[in-house]
Amino acid sequence: MARYGMALNYKNCINCRACESACKEENGVLLLPDHYRIWVGVKEAEGEYPNISIASQTYHPSQCQHCENAPCQLVCPTNATHYSPDGMVMVDPTRCILCTYCINACPYDARYVDQRTMTVDKCTFCSDTRLANGETTTACQATCPTKVRVFGDLDDPNSEISQLLAKHEYRRVKEHLGTKPKLFYIL
Amino acid sequence: MNAISLKNLFSFEKTPLNLLMAFVTVALVAAFFAGAVIYILHGHHAYNVTRQHPWGLLISMYVFFVVSSTGLCIISSIGHVFGIKEFQQIGKRAIAGAIITISSGFAVIGLEIGHPVTMLIYNVLTPGLTSAIWWMGTLYGLYLTFICLEFFFLAIKENHTFSKIFGICGLLVGLAAHSNLGAVFGFLISRPSANGVFYPVYFILSAMITGCYLIFLMYGFKYKMNFPEKVRVMLVKLSKILGMLLAVLIFFEVWKILTALYGDMPERAATIMHAIKHPNFWFGELTLGMLIPFVVILVSNAQAIKATVYASITGMVGIFFMRYGLVHDTLLYPMTTLKRAEYQLAPSFVDYFPSATEFMIGFGGIGLSLIMYYFADKIFNLDESEETHH
Amino acid sequence: MKVEISRRRFLQGSVAMSVVGGVSLSTSSMIASASAPAKKIGNDTKKVATLCEMCVNKCAAIAHVRNGVVEKLDPNPLFPKSRNMLCARGNSGIQALYDPDRLKYPLIRDGEKGSGKFKRVTWDEAYAYINEKLTKILDEEKDNRSTVAFCAGEGMAEHTFKTFFTLFGSSHFLNHASLCLATTVSGYSLTIGGYGQADLDNAKYVIMAGANRAEAIVTPDTMDFFKRTNGRGAKLVCVDPRFTNTAAKSDKWLAINVGTDLAFVLALTYVAIKEERYNKAFVENYFNGFETYKEHILSNNYTPEWAEKITGIKAKDIYEVAREFMAAAPQAVYYQGRRTTWSKNDFQLRRAMALFSALGGGVDVKGGICFGKSLPLVEHEVPAPMYAQAKPRIESKEAAVVGGSGSWVAFRNMVLEGRNPYPIRALFNYKHNPMHNMPNAKKTEEFLKKLDLVVTIDTMPSDTVMLSDVVLPECNYLERTDPVVSYGGIEPSIAQRNKVVEPMFESKPVMEIMRGLSAKISKPLFEITKKYDEDVQSAIEDDDEETVYAEFDLTKAFAHDQEELNVHAVEKYEGAAEILKEKGVFYPNMNEYFKKTGVNDYEYYPEHKRAYSVRNLKFNTPSGKIECVLDSLTKKGIDAMPVWKKEYEMAIPEGKFRFITGRHAQFTQSGTANNRLLLNLVPENYAWINKRVALKMGIQFGDKLEVSSPVGKTTIKAYPTEKIGPDTLFFVHGFGVSSSALHLAHNNGGNDAKILEDGIEPMHGSSCLHDTIVAIRKV
Ligand SMILES: Nc1nc2c(c(=O)[nH]1)N[C@H]1C(S)=C(S)[C@@H](COP(=O)(O)OP(=O)(O)OC[C@H]3O[C@@H](n4cnc5c(=O)[nH]c(N)nc54)[C@H](O)[C@@H]3O)O[C@H]1N2
Ligand SMILES: Nc1nc2c(c(=O)[nH]1)N[C@H]1C(S)=C(S)[C@@H](COP(=O)(O)OP(=O)(O)OC[C@H]3O[C@@H](n4cnc5c(=O)[nH]c(N)nc54)[C@H](O)[C@@H]3O)O[C@H]1N2
Ligand code: SF4
Ligand code: SF4
Ligand code: SF4
Ligand code: SF4
Ligand code: SF4
Ligand SMILES: [Mo]
Repeated sequence: MARYGMALNYKNCINCRACESACKEENGVLLLPDHYRIWVGVKEAEGEYPNISIASQTYHPSQCQHCENAPCQLVCPTNATHYSPDGMVMVDPTRCILCTYCINACPYDARYVDQRTMTVDKCTFCSDTRLANGETTTACQATCPTKVRVFGDLDDPNSEISQLLAKHEYRRVKEHLGTKPKLFYIL
Repeated sequence: MNAISLKNLFSFEKTPLNLLMAFVTVALVAAFFAGAVIYILHGHHAYNVTRQHPWGLLISMYVFFVVSSTGLCIISSIGHVFGIKEFQQIGKRAIAGAIITISSGFAVIGLEIGHPVTMLIYNVLTPGLTSAIWWMGTLYGLYLTFICLEFFFLAIKENHTFSKIFGICGLLVGLAAHSNLGAVFGFLISRPSANGVFYPVYFILSAMITGCYLIFLMYGFKYKMNFPEKVRVMLVKLSKILGMLLAVLIFFEVWKILTALYGDMPERAATIMHAIKHPNFWFGELTLGMLIPFVVILVSNAQAIKATVYASITGMVGIFFMRYGLVHDTLLYPMTTLKRAEYQLAPSFVDYFPSATEFMIGFGGIGLSLIMYYFADKIFNLDESEETHH
Repeated sequence: MKVEISRRRFLQGSVAMSVVGGVSLSTSSMIASASAPAKKIGNDTKKVATLCEMCVNKCAAIAHVRNGVVEKLDPNPLFPKSRNMLCARGNSGIQALYDPDRLKYPLIRDGEKGSGKFKRVTWDEAYAYINEKLTKILDEEKDNRSTVAFCAGEGMAEHTFKTFFTLFGSSHFLNHASLCLATTVSGYSLTIGGYGQADLDNAKYVIMAGANRAEAIVTPDTMDFFKRTNGRGAKLVCVDPRFTNTAAKSDKWLAINVGTDLAFVLALTYVAIKEERYNKAFVENYFNGFETYKEHILSNNYTPEWAEKITGIKAKDIYEVAREFMAAAPQAVYYQGRRTTWSKNDFQLRRAMALFSALGGGVDVKGGICFGKSLPLVEHEVPAPMYAQAKPRIESKEAAVVGGSGSWVAFRNMVLEGRNPYPIRALFNYKHNPMHNMPNAKKTEEFLKKLDLVVTIDTMPSDTVMLSDVVLPECNYLERTDPVVSYGGIEPSIAQRNKVVEPMFESKPVMEIMRGLSAKISKPLFEITKKYDEDVQSAIEDDDEETVYAEFDLTKAFAHDQEELNVHAVEKYEGAAEILKEKGVFYPNMNEYFKKTGVNDYEYYPEHKRAYSVRNLKFNTPSGKIECVLDSLTKKGIDAMPVWKKEYEMAIPEGKFRFITGRHAQFTQSGTANNRLLLNLVPENYAWINKRVALKMGIQFGDKLEVSSPVGKTTIKAYPTEKIGPDTLFFVHGFGVSSSALHLAHNNGGNDAKILEDGIEPMHGSSCLHDTIVAIRKV
């Protein structure tokens, strides 16, 4: 069994939002407010024209972190949110009672209510649409012009993601919460 | 149990207060059912809850009802579980109130949870044992069973032994359920302002206070402020308890706020700062919910029962704001601190205002409670029946 | 264009058609055009290799089709130009395909022009209507074919439309060039012998001035470059009056006063020359006229201190950039830019940029500006007749050099102002939206109204469609096979758009439209030519009419299936036709060269096979060297060397703003304004206004502003930001559509075409889109 994670060369990100649109098309995410599995965070510019802080304008692509110790999973009353054998955090819509507790519990704003199924939805690492079909990349990764994302098996020391993480320093978001997130932002 | 005809059921003394209560009750019940219909037609679209603010008025009202229920259960147990004499007269009325309020709570939450049927199935098939909501829900289910049995043996079978056994079970399970409800918030590591031991403990405390307020209201209404001596003595005692509980609560709140602000941890401090600046807190929760009743009790040395009944009205309004604040303040701080698109303002504290449907269902729940209470009062003898005294 | 020896005077030459001589008419295609389109329903799942056409780049895509419905577009890793990516717009191509507002049937105007009222007609009725109008016009104009103009936006099938134009015999072809890149292409070509491709995969130092590659996506530049910024191999200096996404990736952002780049480049050049930091060996060997240029730069005292006052960029920064650039040279590029329709000095600016780049020696070398190789296609010709009565271009004297793609603005304005020496009466418009993409929309509207016949071939009911007389619905790009295209460059390849699904409704590819139209009008138009062309009359007397008509037969270019034509176009590459059909991309040795080198990475050509240096240091200019001085232009009133003129300094009155326009990463010009997926990402455009200025004016985020200029006004919401200077106003181009048939785009955001003044620069008559002063008012 793999333990899937994603490394992000986030300095490559140009905020083109190809990943967002690819995810919507790949996963049939409705084009409604609040419906997104993936996003790119931007900050308002710091400084006064013409002295804008370039660092303040770094883009932060993000999605579900597939936490190894996922608060959303802990709080789910019906185990609708569960870990897949490959270490991905998944929602089983047949068991979701739409209590939205998990949405409150996720520290990363990764979840939303899908108006079609009226259950909670979020990034699946494209496991049903792509990995199940033998693809080895996610839609957001494949489409990215500057190849921000590297998806792969953290348990395989030869995988590109493992090699990258061995070679580079990285940071994870809100690590102090003990969620053990599996998105790695390469510095 | 009183044998009662339909005609009897709907006839009451036409005093202005009674008429007003009747009108309010019918209006609220109507609102509840209208809201339910809208929900059935439009689903969650009818609510103003969002990804950023997934819980809203209905959760607040649910908490409001179950806290009331637990509170009544605890207060009733003072008498007939712990055997403190003056309080035994509260027993039936309080347990009836506990059943009624939690039923209203379930009615409201039933319209908040997207898939109640799925819940019934998978709560059992694949229970989430790490989930505070699972424990809370399961325990409250059990709790309702126990207090129904308790009431059954208290008011119908008039079997004091059984009623006491179920009363103790109900109390214990209720306390467990209730602190789990606090834990629903306390376990949220994603929300530093709620995370921690505070809510589970505070919930019990505020439940007792709610219970007191409700007892005052029920008795105030029942006796139209002309209390027989026996009742007066009990209410004076209750008032003292209430005063003490309020003092503790105020003390709790102060320390909660101080610990939240101390050190200025942005997410926690800013959230609490933002919350306490809002009139919902300083006027609703603090002034109406705690200070007015506390001052009335303090100044009158717990003797001014009528004033305390009136203060219980502001107290319950304050309790509502407490419940609302509990949910809203927990969700205030945006999880997305960055903008998602260039053309928007930087995310700030999350806005939420309930939709009409949420108001209808949430406050309609009060109507359900009122009408159920009215019927209960008619059907059952909620006062102490002498025979049960040995 | 290859010229055939003409037998007769009226055989002027031929059009490269990719048409195979001698192959008879394909019956299958005839049937195809006649049969009604049917949407395939079935249980099929298939993948089709195709090409994106949501913008100019044509990235390779793989379409996933289920039950005849396109469900997903994935990037196709095989194409070196698109490097396995699809941008946000590429992904949203499905929404364009299934846009409910699409043009579905041929339409004929049924009310006042501009009223937006049309009636649905059959294709044949539409052709008949055009035929009737055209024969009338040409009869009245005595077969002066130039009274009918043709305009087109860029597209893979633009060539098909242009073939129609060529055979038709008009002098007026107008396309996006004079609204887009004419000045930079010619500035670089005339100076270093080509526009080239900046090798951003290897450059160490890049100046991107007014080129926003993070948002205005150009392949493969965007993909290659931003993996290497932020201290990871390439230094980027971004020069832009706005803090763009490109600026966010830069090492240094230089906020420049709008329209003053030439002063900046001249100062850079001054430092390089004065401090003798340029590549001396390269300049000595490969420059023509360097001493004159040096003398010009030094004697004019184009110092950084001088430039600081004009550009607003600190002299210190200019010194630093010039020195760093030359230190990194020849792996240093002054990026050529793309949309270079800014101001009057555009051509000279691009010349100065090319010269500065070349001073470092970064031309035709790895890491510099490369010219690359091409993979020629087999071109077959169709003889094109010459019409004795057709008159030359009307606007050729409006600028120094008006090329084959004309000066759109000059042309329009002459007609409007009645300065045309002969009437202009009709316009054929293909895949182009002049109402939105030419400055001063009111003039465009009047222009279109003045014409007797406007025929627009589009996919969407654009503002231009609304002012047309006949509207012909082309099918979406996923519904057609387009002409195979060869992309030259460092890693050249050939790519082909394959039809993914059948055209919906009654739409069809322009090839079939041209086939049907030409069949209808060819004979009747020939009758008119016969009437007014004596040569034709005598030729008929010599030969028989049929033989002569064969020369004028418009249908001959459109007789073949596009698939068939594509097969022949690549016939000299073995196996290419099948590979293109199956994989969408072909280049020699692809099987051997193409490698997957990582989860995201592919190698297309081994390093030593990449075409970095191809010119052998002989440049494609008259002297074979880098041209410092273009004496030939002085006769036409164009300076031989870039000069800064006082008139370039535009005063901005107190309280007003200089307006600039540009791209957004999620939109393509005006073409994506109705795309629901893209609007879901960004609902509308906003006017960038400096935050402090906004504060002073009491303007808050989201406030509605009326932006007005001497030519018009538009309303738009405000976005106060420090990313723009106090005297500049910007908003993204392409919004604020007037057409109410575009339900999402209609009145959504602000329309810059309504407020832009329509000046042109003197070299090619390109439009000046950044020379408008606007006022704003809260509404
Ligand atoms: N996403 C996306 N990509 C596209 C397109 C699209 O529509 N959308 N269109 C394609 C086409 S057709 C083209 S031509 C290219 C255009 O590509 P670019 O030319 O790179 O893009 P623009 O946004 O038109 O203009 C570039 C920048 O010029 C800046 N600018 C304005 N005035 C001045 C000035 O005086 N000096 C300097 N230094 N900068 C100035 C603007 O602020 C803007 O950021 O993009 C292509 N790629
Ligand atoms: N104000 C302002 N004006 C500008 C620019 C600017 O930045 N600001 N940019 C300039 C530049 S660089 C350029 S390149 C031009 C671009 O100007 P245009 O060439 O007009 O390009 P688009 O705006 O993309 O409009 C393309 C039209 O083609 C239609 N279309 C799309 N796909 C198809 C198809 O497959 N078949 C057919 N038949 N039609 C199709 C669309 O519906 C749309 O109406 O605009 C120029 N004008
Ligand atoms: S596709 Fe890549 S570059 Fe574009 S926004 Fe997403 S992560 Fe950033
Ligand atoms: S990011 Fe949120 S939704 Fe995803 S696994 Fe972690 S807690 Fe759950
Ligand atoms: S909303 Fe669904 S997935 Fe989330 S906690 Fe509740 S049941 Fe589990
Ligand atoms: S991995 Fe798949 S589901 Fe997750 S954000 Fe990327 S495209 Fe969407
Ligand atoms: S850059 Fe985007 S819109 Fe343009 S061709 Fe490529 S994928 Fe399509
Ligand atoms: Mo362009």
